[in-house]
Amino acid sequence: MSGHASVNSVGDSRLKRFLVQAVLGTIAVAWLVPMVAALLSSFRYFERDTQVNGVFSWPKALTLDNYREAWRVGSIWGHFGKTMFIVIPSLFLILLLSSMVAYACSRYSWKFNVFFLVLFTAGNLMPQQVIFQPLFRIFKNTPWPDILSDTDTGSLLGTKVAVILIHVAFQTGFCTFVLSNYMKTIPKEIGEAAMVDGASVWRQYRQIILPLCRPAFAALATLEFTWLYNDFFWGAVLLNQGAERPITSSIAVLNGQYASNYNLIAAASMMIALPTLAVYLALQKHFISGLTLGANKG
Amino acid sequence: MTGKIEKSPSPSEVGFSVMSRRTLLASAAVAAAAGGVVLTSCGDDDDSGGGGGGSEVTFGSNYSDPKDSEAIKAAIDSTGLSVKINTVDHNTYQENFNTYIQQPDDVVCWFAGYRMRAFAGKGVVSDISDVWAKLPDMSEGFKNASTGLDGKQYFVPFYFYPWAVHYRKSLFADKGYSIPTTWDDFIALCDQMVADGITPLAAANDGGWPQMGMFDMINMRTNGYDFHVSLMGGKESWTDDKVKKVFENWSALLDYYQPDVNGRTWQDAATALGNNEVGMYLLGTFVTSNFDDTQQDIIDDIDFFAFPAIDPAYGQEAVEAPIDGFMMAKSPKNDAGARSLLGALGGAGAIDAYIGVNPAVVAANSKAKTDGYNALQEKSAEIVGAAKYISQFLDRDTDPDFAAKVVGKAIQDFLSDPGQIDSILSTVEEQKKTYTFE
Repeated sequence: MSGHASVNSVGDSRLKRFLVQAVLGTIAVAWLVPMVAALLSSFRYFERDTQVNGVFSWPKALTLDNYREAWRVGSIWGHFGKTMFIVIPSLFLILLLSSMVAYACSRYSWKFNVFFLVLFTAGNLMPQQVIFQPLFRIFKNTPWPDILSDTDTGSLLGTKVAVILIHVAFQTGFCTFVLSNYMKTIPKEIGEAAMVDGASVWRQYRQIILPLCRPAFAALATLEFTWLYNDFFWGAVLLNQGAERPITSSIAVLNGQYASNYNLIAAASMMIALPTLAVYLALQKHFISGLTLGANKG
Repeated sequence: MTGKIEKSPSPSEVGFSVMSRRTLLASAAVAAAAGGVVLTSCGDDDDSGGGGGGSEVTFGSNYSDPKDSEAIKAAIDSTGLSVKINTVDHNTYQENFNTYIQQPDDVVCWFAGYRMRAFAGKGVVSDISDVWAKLPDMSEGFKNASTGLDGKQYFVPFYFYPWAVHYRKSLFADKGYSIPTTWDDFIALCDQMVADGITPLAAANDGGWPQMGMFDMINMRTNGYDFHVSLMGGKESWTDDKVKKVFENWSALLDYYQPDVNGRTWQDAATALGNNEVGMYLLGTFVTSNFDDTQQDIIDDIDFFAFPAIDPAYGQEAVEAPIDGFMMAKSPKNDAGARSLLGALGGAGAIDAYIGVNPAVVAANSKAKTDGYNALQEKSAEIVGAAKYISQFLDRDTDPDFAAKVVGKAIQDFLSDPGQIDSILSTVEEQKKTYTFE
């Protein structure tokens, strides 16, 4: 029976492998269709080609006009700057604050450390949109000196500071979770040895733990950059000046009132996706480890 | 509920006092001269105004299409005031208006009629009756469309564009078709087109709004303008026989429609019109914007006629022509500046400058230049002039949420399964109860 079965199982596993590959291949193709269609569309004329022949027809002629026009009309470069104005300070603050919380909660045993850890982690589970209304009012009623913002709205609402604050508030939870799990894997003895040598808590954090967490920071920075860069919602609802919006929300300007040139929008989307793509390709290793970091708690 | 029922302007009020094109043209020279005078006097006001006059006014703009944004800039430049324009793309502006108006620019773009009254009622925009005192060239009808339920003005109209049945002149000439004015003629023409191998009616409903125009027209032709306003105001039952009659009439047209209405964009339908695959297309005059410079021959070949009469009692007395314009924020940073900007935008000079760049609309100001109008603009002025009532469009004449989520949905359902109309209308009537229409 065993001999018979093994012959069968070889056939089985071949069939299985074939099926798996067929399924994965189909999914991969299905996944690629919209992207390839967008990429191809971005190089096609709209009125005289796509609109007449349909998105899935073979292009008659290719052009870079869409890219030129999207770059100009969408003022991509300017809005890219606005995005960076939000993303870079947010990223810095998120990593700084979450590493502090993670350090205090994972390296020390005190009355509320688990409570705080749970609080920060649970914050991740809340859909951000639900607190939009109260937050809107808080921002509106918080006076903010014009000198501290580039848009003189008088209140926090309408400033990029507001967007940075909300990003910091929401992303700190996830980063705390990841960093505390990572810090738990660093042997306790390192901290004890430092303490014996007379290092203060701050010094242990700054000179021992932070340098050791560099891989976790790299992974988180890659992930967070993509998430913050891709944020559409907060930029659109908190910034009332069209010219101040981050690139993802500002691109809607390419939608016409009655008509939309989808090839133009595709070209703009391609340009907008480039920075995240570049970050991903350059830091691929960190990106993947970032997603699994904290998945296996030490 | 204040008793005053909103009424769209009747044309004589709107300033087209059933004027023939010739009289319109004749008055053009006078108008042009007057425009110049108004413009200079505006500039003078500003310069000598002192105080607030010199400082900047902020202007929230939804004119985001390249041509529109260029045109609105020209209009604002023509006022000679110092204005900072904040452009937000048209759709986001509209969807976010509720939050935007809580931290708005000094002067904001918006729509006349019900949509304006909703915000005037909430007290988030300013009474600008004093600005209206200086707008002698705005007719009574436009004033009504700019008046809130409390009898004060909150809106300055800028321009409008009508909805009508578009067709290609060359096709009608080739086949010897004549313009139908009655329902029977219309159906007969459709049958004739079918016999000639042409799909009679272009039909699109992607986005859920294009077919609202068809509902408006059939309702106003079947039941009259007053019933339409009353129905939009939530005061009539959607299960009423009158409403059922609208859908019965509509069903008669469905046989002549392009198939799969709900999935087609208005642009696709317009392209079909351009290719002579379909004979007629009910849409706003912006239909021509579907064609680019290389298709000027098609644009020049497009003409339109008023939707045919159904019940002779109502004839072709109503036309749909949405009005766009401006409001002032509740507490603008520069109150005086905002008021002078609104006054200047209501003048003939501003709209002349706008139309100079983007000639797709018709000026609200009766003194605006008309000699530069193309054939479609002249016709637009004419069709509005010949109409007794002007509606704003379904999603502007009622609660926008009710329009989109309830009526829009019902129309989609009707188009995909006309047989279910009774249960569809019961659903509308049921859902209507959750709206206050205030």
